[in-house]
Amino acid sequence: MAKNLPLKGIRVANFGWVWAGPVTGQTLAFLGAEVFKIESKARVDLTRTLPPFGDGIPGPDRSLSNHACWAGNGSVTLNLKKPEAQQLARDLVAKCDVVVENFGPGVMEQLGCGYEVLKAVKPDIVMFSMPAAGLYGPLKGVRTYGLSLTSLTGLDSLTGYSDGPPVPVENAYSDPYNGILGAFPIIAALRHRDRTGEGQHIDYSQQEAIMHMVGPAFMDYAMNGRNAAPKGNRHPLGAAAPHGVFPCKGDDRWISIAVLTDEEWSALRNAMGNPAWAAANEYASAAGRVAAATAIHTELARWTAQHDDRELAGKLQQAGVAAAPVLNVGDLLNDPHYKARGTYIELTHPLGFVETIYGAYVKTSRTEVAVTPGPVMGRDNDHVFKTLLGMSPERYDELVAAQIIY
Amino acid sequence: MSAGALEGLRIVELGEMVSAPYCAKLFADFGADVVKVEPLGGDVARRWGPFPGDEPDPEKSGLHLFLNTSKRSVTLDLESQAGRDLFRKLIAGADALIENHPVLRMREWGFTYDALARINPGLVMISITPFGQDGPYSEWNGYDLNAYHLSGASSRYCGRPGESPLEHGAFSADFFGAAAAASWGLAAIYGRDNAGGGQHVDVSCAEAIAAAFVGGQNIGAYAQSGKFDKRTGVGMSLGAPATILPCKDGHVWILCLETAQWHGLAKTMGDPEWMQLDIFQDMFSRAQNADAMYPLIEMWTMEHGKMEIMERCQANGVPVSAVFTVGEAAEHPHLKERGYIVEQQHPAAGAIRNLGAPFKLPASPGGPQTPAPLLGQHTDEVLRELGLSSEEILQFRASRTIG
Repeated sequence: MAKNLPLKGIRVANFGWVWAGPVTGQTLAFLGAEVFKIESKARVDLTRTLPPFGDGIPGPDRSLSNHACWAGNGSVTLNLKKPEAQQLARDLVAKCDVVVENFGPGVMEQLGCGYEVLKAVKPDIVMFSMPAAGLYGPLKGVRTYGLSLTSLTGLDSLTGYSDGPPVPVENAYSDPYNGILGAFPIIAALRHRDRTGEGQHIDYSQQEAIMHMVGPAFMDYAMNGRNAAPKGNRHPLGAAAPHGVFPCKGDDRWISIAVLTDEEWSALRNAMGNPAWAAANEYASAAGRVAAATAIHTELARWTAQHDDRELAGKLQQAGVAAAPVLNVGDLLNDPHYKARGTYIELTHPLGFVETIYGAYVKTSRTEVAVTPGPVMGRDNDHVFKTLLGMSPERYDELVAAQIIY
Repeated sequence: MSAGALEGLRIVELGEMVSAPYCAKLFADFGADVVKVEPLGGDVARRWGPFPGDEPDPEKSGLHLFLNTSKRSVTLDLESQAGRDLFRKLIAGADALIENHPVLRMREWGFTYDALARINPGLVMISITPFGQDGPYSEWNGYDLNAYHLSGASSRYCGRPGESPLEHGAFSADFFGAAAAASWGLAAIYGRDNAGGGQHVDVSCAEAIAAAFVGGQNIGAYAQSGKFDKRTGVGMSLGAPATILPCKDGHVWILCLETAQWHGLAKTMGDPEWMQLDIFQDMFSRAQNADAMYPLIEMWTMEHGKMEIMERCQANGVPVSAVFTVGEAAEHPHLKERGYIVEQQHPAAGAIRNLGAPFKLPASPGGPQTPAPLLGQHTDEVLRELGLSSEEILQFRASRTIG
């Protein structure tokens, strides 16, 4: 069972939807907060409709990817188009420490739950908003999905084969990234609240957070006026070579090799059996290797292609070279490292089917995280409305019948 | 300087390159006192650049100047017993240690969590490594590249079939691991009483991505069916259009999944007849016919500039965006108005531009407070705070224990 959770006692109303907002709720929940995601059958979240489903039976409570990405969150159903539902949401916020949302700017106001309103019902509330490009500025209304948001940071202009066109990353790295990082300013604001009694409204720009990944390339632009171009898997700052992904025996098998130091270069040469091509004097220094990276990569690929990826990684590691197999999705579940670390966990959903999701992806020596799968819609309605908000069973039934609790 | 939300926290950073320094920067920019411990030769990031005019100078490396704002720098030779003793003194008074050294090196130095917790039971030790503190690969040598490609992310999501899987061209795994470490690490500090004391927070960059990015969307399906997908080189395969296309002056991300968006795109493109064909009326069917559709859209994009395409599509409710170069992102009026690009005066590098905090906490603001420190700039100051006399400091300098 869960033990020694650092955020025990913190309660969160999570208006987040799709991916990033729910992951912020998940992060806080894994760390011990009680998180209630607010959603509605009046507009079922897109991610609840994504296949595959548990046992192959479609249904909004059976999407396997939704259960993984929303794990840890609870669920309260409120049809926020109705004023009575908005009032209930505010009643819940009055009993919370934190509000999370990832709509566009202005949507929470339309739902009767803008910061000023929530501050009136809970003066020290920490409200966390994470729109694509922040709460204000010329691009505040920009429409993006997580997978294209990165284009507004310069990151996509760096992704691709050397000097070729940009190649898209086919899913939204920015969603789990921002979802997880979002917990940091929330906890910082909780600390400030504890010390001063003051709440606040956090303006988290997903664009700006991802642009930190571009920081090194930004500095080159700021200092030298240069715009970086795609460079494959080479070192992002051109500081080291060889540095790349090389083919191995079999279909679509690859190994990553990064040589950052002269010692590692010697180790690689030894592991290859000291071939003549690698003995060139100019390869003895990092600068020489970077200048000749294309030639070195070609020779190295010829050698790696004769080997099995895992065997070669093991052999190179023995020699002290930073090398690892390039895993595909099918490799992950049975990889000995991820198995040993309990990266993925199998559990039985309350609806009876078995599913595999990810567990606590950070290991904590004193805290034991208990992971529950993404919630059935309205899982916590009884508890929240009747116990936490003290609603009578009769009133509850009325609101359900009126599709306000819905 | 305004009091940041993390004012009063005392953090020791034993970091090099990207992951631990970035994590510690997040703390430092919001008011924590972060003491960065560097070897006498400095953090490797000081040698990686980029450098103004491409002239190497350890005080002018762009990577270093970006990652180490608001920190103090102390040099210590940890290969010496005296250096390691001084490090333990620092740890004795710290709330947290943020580090990213190989597991074996930390063990050689005697800096395991158990050993450090004996000096300071309240210590939160935040370790960020490619593979983590335990498991079969934990003693492997590795860098950002190795971690990223071990996560499944590249095989699944980036690159053309038959060609090598790709990382972003940035230190993606280091940043992802650092983000996870910042949130989990700060929680462990904030909730120390709930947790019953300090603890070791073990982040594997590879694992964090394999779980929260790749695992979330793929592992349930694989476990249930034994089937899995790989990169296509094009974009989303389930719905379309969802790809990057060339245009007159660069590239645009064309995303148009919902029906209203498709109508908006048609309007923007001047309602060409082909867009009314039955096979293009929903995103799934468009995805099945993407090979026919993309060249038709590209004929249009090639006639227009990326900023114009973005502006006109956005005005019609279509989530199309220009693929900004780094410079276009940096100079965008939006980021100027938000104060994201900050100016700093650095003693060696002079006037520099830097990136600001990505989140605004109006009641307890943050962002870069001071520029990245010179190597060992605060060694004497910090050692005096530990109670060392001027004579002792001189002796340590003479013996090259400090720089």
